[in-house]
Amino acid sequence: MNDGTVNKYWKSPESRNRSVAMPERTLDESVAEESAAGTIDRRRFLEAAGFTLSLATVAGCDSARAPDKKALPLIEQPEGMVPGRMRYYASTCSGCSAACGLLAGVRDGRPLKMEGNPEHPLSRGGLCAVGQALPLGLYDSHRLDNPLKDGSNASWGDVDAEIIAALQQIEVSGGAVRMVTDTVTSPTLQASIDDFLSRFADARHVTFDAAGSGSIRRAHEKTHGAAVLPHYLFERADVIVSFGADFLGTWISPVEFTAAWRTRRVPDGPHPKMSYHAQLESRMTLTGSNADERLVIRPEEEGLVLSHLAAILAQRAGVSLTGSELAPAPIAAEQLQDLADRLWEARGRSLIVSASEDDQVQILVNFLNHVLGNYGKTLDMERPSHQQQGSDADVAALVKELRDGKVAALLVAGIDLTHYLPAHEKLVQAISQIPLTVSFAERWNDFAQLAKFVCPDHHILESWLDAEPVRGVFSLVQPTVQPLKGTRSILESLATWSEKPAFAQDVLRTNWQEKVFPRQNRVSDFGTFWDQSLHDGFAKIVTDPVTTSPFDQSAVALFDAAPEVIDYTLILHNTIAIPDSRHAHNPWLQELPDPVSKVTWDNYASVAPETAKELSLQDGDVVRIEAHDSGTTIELPAFVQPGQHPRVLSVALGYGSPGTERFANIGPEWLESKSTVGRNGLVGTNAAPLLVLDDERLLHVRTGVRLTKTAAHHALATTQEHDSLDVPPEVAPLGGERRHAIEETTLVQFAANPKSGSHAHPLGDVQLWAEDHPQEGHAWGMAIDLNACSGCSACLIACQSENNVPVVGRDEVRRQREMHWIRIDRYYSGEGANTTVSHQPMMCQHCDNAPCETVCPVLATVHSEEGLNQQVYNRCVGTRYCANNCPYKVRRFNWFDYPHNDVFENLSLNPDVTVRSRGVMEKCSMCVQRIQEAKIESQCSGEPIVDGQIQPACQQTCPASAIVFGDLNDPDSKVSAAMNTPRSYRVLEELNVRPSVGYLRIVRNRETDTHAEDHHDG
Amino acid sequence: MTANADTLRPPLVTGDKSLGDVTRDVCAPLERRPTGSWWAALAVSSTMLLVGFIAVWYQIATGIGTWGLNKTVGWAFDITNFVFWVGIGHAGTLISAVLFLFRQRWRTAVNRSAEAMTLFAVTCAGIFPLIHMGRPWLFYWMLPYPNTRGSLWVNFKSPLIWDFFAISTYFLVSLVFWYLGLLPDLASIRDRSKGLRRKIFSLVCLGWNGSARTWHRYETVYMLLAGLATPLVFSVHTIVSMDFATSVIPGWHTTIFPPYFVAGAIFSGLAMVLTLMIIARKVMSLENYVTVNHVDKMCKLMLSMGCLVGLAYATEFFMAFFSGNVYEQFVFKNRAKGPFSWAYWTMVTCNVVIPQVLWLKRVRTNLAFVFVIAIFVNIGMWFERFVIIVTSLHRDFLPSSWAGYAPTIIEILTFLGTFGLFFTCFLIFCRFVPVIAIAEVKGVLPAEKREQDDVVERSQEVAA
Repeated sequence: MNDGTVNKYWKSPESRNRSVAMPERTLDESVAEESAAGTIDRRRFLEAAGFTLSLATVAGCDSARAPDKKALPLIEQPEGMVPGRMRYYASTCSGCSAACGLLAGVRDGRPLKMEGNPEHPLSRGGLCAVGQALPLGLYDSHRLDNPLKDGSNASWGDVDAEIIAALQQIEVSGGAVRMVTDTVTSPTLQASIDDFLSRFADARHVTFDAAGSGSIRRAHEKTHGAAVLPHYLFERADVIVSFGADFLGTWISPVEFTAAWRTRRVPDGPHPKMSYHAQLESRMTLTGSNADERLVIRPEEEGLVLSHLAAILAQRAGVSLTGSELAPAPIAAEQLQDLADRLWEARGRSLIVSASEDDQVQILVNFLNHVLGNYGKTLDMERPSHQQQGSDADVAALVKELRDGKVAALLVAGIDLTHYLPAHEKLVQAISQIPLTVSFAERWNDFAQLAKFVCPDHHILESWLDAEPVRGVFSLVQPTVQPLKGTRSILESLATWSEKPAFAQDVLRTNWQEKVFPRQNRVSDFGTFWDQSLHDGFAKIVTDPVTTSPFDQSAVALFDAAPEVIDYTLILHNTIAIPDSRHAHNPWLQELPDPVSKVTWDNYASVAPETAKELSLQDGDVVRIEAHDSGTTIELPAFVQPGQHPRVLSVALGYGSPGTERFANIGPEWLESKSTVGRNGLVGTNAAPLLVLDDERLLHVRTGVRLTKTAAHHALATTQEHDSLDVPPEVAPLGGERRHAIEETTLVQFAANPKSGSHAHPLGDVQLWAEDHPQEGHAWGMAIDLNACSGCSACLIACQSENNVPVVGRDEVRRQREMHWIRIDRYYSGEGANTTVSHQPMMCQHCDNAPCETVCPVLATVHSEEGLNQQVYNRCVGTRYCANNCPYKVRRFNWFDYPHNDVFENLSLNPDVTVRSRGVMEKCSMCVQRIQEAKIESQCSGEPIVDGQIQPACQQTCPASAIVFGDLNDPDSKVSAAMNTPRSYRVLEELNVRPSVGYLRIVRNRETDTHAEDHHDG
Repeated sequence: MTANADTLRPPLVTGDKSLGDVTRDVCAPLERRPTGSWWAALAVSSTMLLVGFIAVWYQIATGIGTWGLNKTVGWAFDITNFVFWVGIGHAGTLISAVLFLFRQRWRTAVNRSAEAMTLFAVTCAGIFPLIHMGRPWLFYWMLPYPNTRGSLWVNFKSPLIWDFFAISTYFLVSLVFWYLGLLPDLASIRDRSKGLRRKIFSLVCLGWNGSARTWHRYETVYMLLAGLATPLVFSVHTIVSMDFATSVIPGWHTTIFPPYFVAGAIFSGLAMVLTLMIIARKVMSLENYVTVNHVDKMCKLMLSMGCLVGLAYATEFFMAFFSGNVYEQFVFKNRAKGPFSWAYWTMVTCNVVIPQVLWLKRVRTNLAFVFVIAIFVNIGMWFERFVIIVTSLHRDFLPSSWAGYAPTIIEILTFLGTFGLFFTCFLIFCRFVPVIAIAEVKGVLPAEKREQDDVVERSQEVAA
């Protein structure tokens, strides 16, 4: 591949027939050296990237980072390189430690759109919101442009010289070197870190995540003799019992788990079967909102419930378990019995997971999984997960060392160390005394402000890196663009400071040649192996299993006492949008409505409705949360969250990060507009001061917090005002108390009658108009399986990225003017602990009898002959009549000219989609640009469009594969099949607007439906 | 007219006025220097107009986001104000055309100002469809004219297009009708003035010479135009109501809307005529021309319209109940008990409850009372449109999209600005044009007065 020709590989036909080209190293012939330059402006960017017809060139020159390289056009146009055509390069997401596979869509040298890699063994084509938001992070003008020394710009040469000198001194003096990173799934980076640290007498690598799994690994060390995080296989589990683990949202590897979980949520077929999923939790997580049974317990009670289960199941399994009399369980005896029965019946096909930070709780979980024979079946210990390896104990030890002034060099990458430590103001002094502090932060953050040197790392889309998220699954990160800023790969920085300078690509290649390649036996030639892995984005390597010892029951101890209730228990958690504070800089993610609360641009204290009543709290009333022991307080707005335990508060971490003051004026500015940031000048409030930190541990759950209401109010920007399909009782008409936008049934009822749960109002075939517009060619349609949809909201950001949807800021969201083309409607039903949640993606329904079309005075919205409802931006004069007349309220109006002042950020815009101006209406187009592209391709090649070839952005990214798009005129298409299942229905069918989007009814694996059917209208 | 008939009906003009008195009385305000109160009123109203102009300017420069609308409530103050002003205009045409055809001679005292009011109100109304557009500079795309953009025409299915035609037709016909009625009076002013003023009025009265032939032609055309304008009274608001009635939104999708809107429009128009005339007769010393008798008649008409509107409210509720459509039922319960119930009950109180006191003759003849009631009706009819538009939109089919609405300062100032425009126009009208149709009022003077004055006036003209 180094001979300059471009290899063009076709992926399997299912993968959208898109070409995946190999990056090339055509350095010699197409890259001329140029001295390093400072800032990159739009013109220079175009020079650098736009003219680069071969992305390969760009990728190739990444390795030559230190002296900047200028990319020039290839002299000969390689075959298959069509300017303006999107090309996809397999890479790996770095949004969190899950390391999902992605395809980076690059157009004319510009990475624009992330897609899930359908062939990736873990993520299976899905990608979460954070992964979808990567391009905006790349084109972030606030990313650091060059290294900083004491907060001011410096050159790499000077910084390197000083750091090397300082390190040599430490090496001689034997001072302690501490490297803090988030989970390093990259074997090459790990090797680099190890190599870098090996010179020093006292060196340690501390892994610090916003959420860790230390307790799981410690528990396995005690029970299995191996401190590993098992690889959970949800696709094999018939019964899933989760204790507070938000595995569909934020826990370990949500995209993979969603894809796996979803495979067991398809009740179609002659003998409908589904997995049973019970969630025992205290706050309403996304996972809990999808559970068949959700039981509300306090986090401290997990041990007691597990002890009861352990007692029952141990007895059944004939395992003796010593323990005194157990206090009564916080859940009903029959529920406990039911859970035990189901688990016992599904031995070897069940899975118990817990996010508890208590080792003893995790040991009980291990015991249960062991008794049920799940190890080796639903939990893989041989090929464990390398994700979320953060170790709370190591962090606690590090903080102690910092306080004692024992650290001579502190290097921090990935995580914003001080932002995530409680009482960090006391540490500031200690950290500033450290002789050498280095931050690898891409942006200005809490620790970067303290560090002597900031050596910014590349954005992931500019980097060479790899990942091994699960033992044996290796994936590669390849650059898709020449670095846009004066940043440097961490691999290169570490190599330079180890005084063995090397290019990142060479470091990576060497590591693969030496460590990865020998472990496989499929290919004999490394070049072929490397090319193939780079093309696929991953390589599966048969690895030696981790050795474990037989189950050691000695550590198992039952919780016999009922935990005392001390005021409130506080849970500090991460959110789907902002898994850690790095992502707080991404306005797409800040404006992503939380899948459950629908709040944007803020963190808040979730309180149960009962608690809110007790303290007469309304959404947005500012509350003071005070820790008994430390006396730490924070103030932030309250949010009333149905399904929350009345004695539990929960607050998201990752907010209130330094640097978010940049969003103060993100929205349109006018007479009555309000700032997007709060009174502290930041987006949200940092809740980390309330983390529990002692010499041993760093805990996210804290008991004994006081909650008081203050006089202040901070209006939260939520995208949904009314939370239920039940209309308010005072205005509810008889028989119309509940609306049936969401239809649901139970597995039992569904098995008896596949049409159960239907609320269709049969109209016959009433048509006022003559059917004189037959759709003879295609009739595009979409089916959304509500039973599969978890509500994770990845589709929102995929759509935002694909369709240039603007960010409007907190005040505009508060005024109910968010611009998202697809929204996830979330409805609650039931009360208190019985709260059931339903999620419904809602976008333009492309009605055949579209009410919007008839009312537009200027024909700006018209029907295509393929069944699409089209919006003609140029023709729209903005009367908004169409939006008023839309029963689904999916149309979005450009109330202002949304700011596009950040020229650099504008590079993330998709050139295939118009950027809408002020005063025009817009809405979901079913990614008409993708349909057109496929049609043009089909016309050129003469091949018909195959089913599944066109995937709108929302479908492509959906981790749960809940969305199917296709041709309704093709009886064999997947969408036709979905529309013809008995579960299929259309929202507001009785209006006879004939939507082209169908939904598949929710089937809950419950005996009886306790909520939804109560209000069945006659 | 015999003395016998006079005892049956009270005289329409009191104060024993002669023909000459009529001309003098009506022209007096035009011929003397404007009073301090006129200047004060003009200062206030033109300030309001200026403020409104600035608000509109700001809104067009910045975006419709400066209004309180959102993804769910796409129309609120804008279309409320539009329908409100169009409705106000209706009384003018009703009084000038319909009452003319029905030979209601009492109309002569108020028709001129009512017609002027129509024009100004429709002007105010017309502003809103224009500025409510996202891109108002493209308003001409609403016109079906041959263009270079392919065969791109307007959507004739859209009620907004019907609206565009209905309102522009209405404005033009009203303007012509009003101007035609002005001709004899403009000639009277011409005859009474000198210099530049005379030249101007000579021009605008189109050479009126008062001959029998002129009068004959004038009256024929007037009658024909009255016949043409009459259907407009009903068509304009019918079409305005179709903006709502043809939609799918519960609370809008109602077949009762055309008659309901027309009744409401006349109701609000009469209230506005009364409001203005009660002030004007006092300020301009025209108590003998706009008498308590006139007010009494207008009150009766207003009361009947109020009852019709009340019936429409009740019918809507009944039909919602009777239809069995839960969305429809919800909308009406939500109007009465939901977040905007205060607006609904303001509407019912002002439009249905308060006007009931007009059954009492004592109230109808007490101008202070009538004035207060007319103000209430004006407020109530504004809220009627607000209730129809906002409460139907803010909670429609899918509860996830339910939203609230509150106007911004820009919307409030824009609305205020249209009042500024209306009153500024009206004040200028009072200064330059006879507010009472002189020629027509002369026709309703007692017969003996007419004859007597004829002789006197003719002898005066001869002497001059």
